[in-house]
Amino acid sequence: MTAPIFTLLCLLVMLGNALAEPTYRIFVTNENDNTVSVIDSRSHKVEATVPVGKRPRGIGFAPDRAHVYVALGDENAIGVIDTRTLQVVKTIPSGSDPEAFAVHTNGHIYLSNEDDNKASVLDPVSGELLAQIPVGIEPEGVGVSPDGKLVLVTSESTSMVHVITVPEHQITANILVGARPREVAFSADGRWVYVSSEISGEVNKLDMAARTVVKKVKLEIKDAKPKGVVLSPDQRTLYVSTGRANVVAVLDADTLALKTSVPVGKRVWGLALSRDGSRLYTCNGVDDTVSVVDTATHKAIATIAVGGGPWGVIIDD
Amino acid sequence: MRRGQRWLWWLPAVLLLALGEVTGAMAEEVRVVYVGPAEGSVWRGVALGQHEANILGRFTGQTYVVQQMRPEELLGKELATLPAVVLAATDAETLPKLSAAFASVGVAVFNLARDDDSLRQACLPNLLHTPPSARMKADAVAQWQKKHAGAAVEAWAWHPDFVKYAARDLNKRFRELFNVPMDNDAWAGWAALKMVSEAIARTQTTEPARILAYLRQDMEFDGQKGVSHTFRDTGQLRQPLLIVQDGKVVGEAPVRGVADIADLDSLGMESCRR
Repeated sequence: MTAPIFTLLCLLVMLGNALAEPTYRIFVTNENDNTVSVIDSRSHKVEATVPVGKRPRGIGFAPDRAHVYVALGDENAIGVIDTRTLQVVKTIPSGSDPEAFAVHTNGHIYLSNEDDNKASVLDPVSGELLAQIPVGIEPEGVGVSPDGKLVLVTSESTSMVHVITVPEHQITANILVGARPREVAFSADGRWVYVSSEISGEVNKLDMAARTVVKKVKLEIKDAKPKGVVLSPDQRTLYVSTGRANVVAVLDADTLALKTSVPVGKRVWGLALSRDGSRLYTCNGVDDTVSVVDTATHKAIATIAVGGGPWGVIIDD
Repeated sequence: MRRGQRWLWWLPAVLLLALGEVTGAMAEEVRVVYVGPAEGSVWRGVALGQHEANILGRFTGQTYVVQQMRPEELLGKELATLPAVVLAATDAETLPKLSAAFASVGVAVFNLARDDDSLRQACLPNLLHTPPSARMKADAVAQWQKKHAGAAVEAWAWHPDFVKYAARDLNKRFRELFNVPMDNDAWAGWAALKMVSEAIARTQTTEPARILAYLRQDMEFDGQKGVSHTFRDTGQLRQPLLIVQDGKVVGEAPVRGVADIADLDSLGMESCRR
């Protein structure tokens, strides 16, 4: 009786060691001053400001979260920061003007080359550029389906979502959405995709089985420029940043009905949710701050000063 | 058996050729007629617009051809095939004539270069104006001067150093293609083709009257100036303007604090009623 329990305990300890304790750090790209701000999510204090390279915008974790990747638009490269030591460990050429990206579970980075009408596939370990896929004009938002079989890329000046298969890297559909599509978010089951459209002021909901727009709403918020879009872990609530409207729109993910809006800072852009969905972090690009929103009360509970022009945010929790 | 195999060896090549034919045939050719100088800013803007329309068309099944014609070739003659739209960088007198020549068949005629208010107030059903009217520019300057008394400024549709929104990207594309800065006229030319290609991609029709209807009623155009652009009943494109002082962009109109920044109709005359 005791032997199996002992074995189980040993296995649990080993598993615990393998799954490293999260750092609880929030990482924020500061587009205007070429740095990444590192915030302790428990104290809301800035721990470090890491010079990373020119025009940092898109930001994301490696699958094991050991590294943070940062798109450096004016260096045509991806900067790599060690999540624990906060050192920039390398800079990988990425093709022209990388803006946003998504990291596939296989470790490859799918990124948009904004000024080159391409999406690139980068292996950050070997540094090899594995593929370049011609897409529309000003490619931006990138998303990987939960099963890893599809990558979506928006092209802002072609108002389209391109559906790309993995590993073939073939475009199998081009879905016209509202003007200037910025970001995409998949539902956990991969069935639905939410797209923010900055100029049309819309959120479009795509059915990935039919590959069509099944619902779209214009945000009924004055001056709203939808940009960031994240889905709550329970899949019921969609948070959309609204740029110069300075609020986060809270939508019913099923109907896209506007439930409420949460005032944050000026030109709210990138968004990130804590793993449990209780905290939403917002980049306020003109205020040079990050707001912390309590998603139960829909109120900003803290404002943290960061670098110039905060653009994107992720959390290791 | 051997002969059969030899024949099969050719099959993939034949199939590939056939496929090329089919995909080539699937892309519908869209003919846009351009009347105006085949050099200079407006023309360069049209050329960039055509290039970008063809990138969009690659995904939605169109190729865009711009055919240069003289006004005499269009006026008082029946064309064998109708163009999807007519783009005109001509004098003010020619524009109503072009409009009249195509009004009955519903072909949109774009004014790319004139700022005359009288052309807007004529409210011709198929005449659309991409550059701001003189009155729009005057209103923008007046708004700015309300806030900054005595400032000597001008209002422009575009500026090669404008970077906000995605202006930086458009300016970069233009400069890379032509090695000259993108100005007001170039923006007007670019915008027209861009709007037309979007109308065709979204409606999946090249029927001129349906393109015109989409442009007037449904379009929400991203002119890379931060808000969507639509057409007024007068045919004038609603758009924000840039306030320029000593050659530099110092602000945008509608001017914050003087007008509602979202109220593009605070610039110029919005309706056909005098």
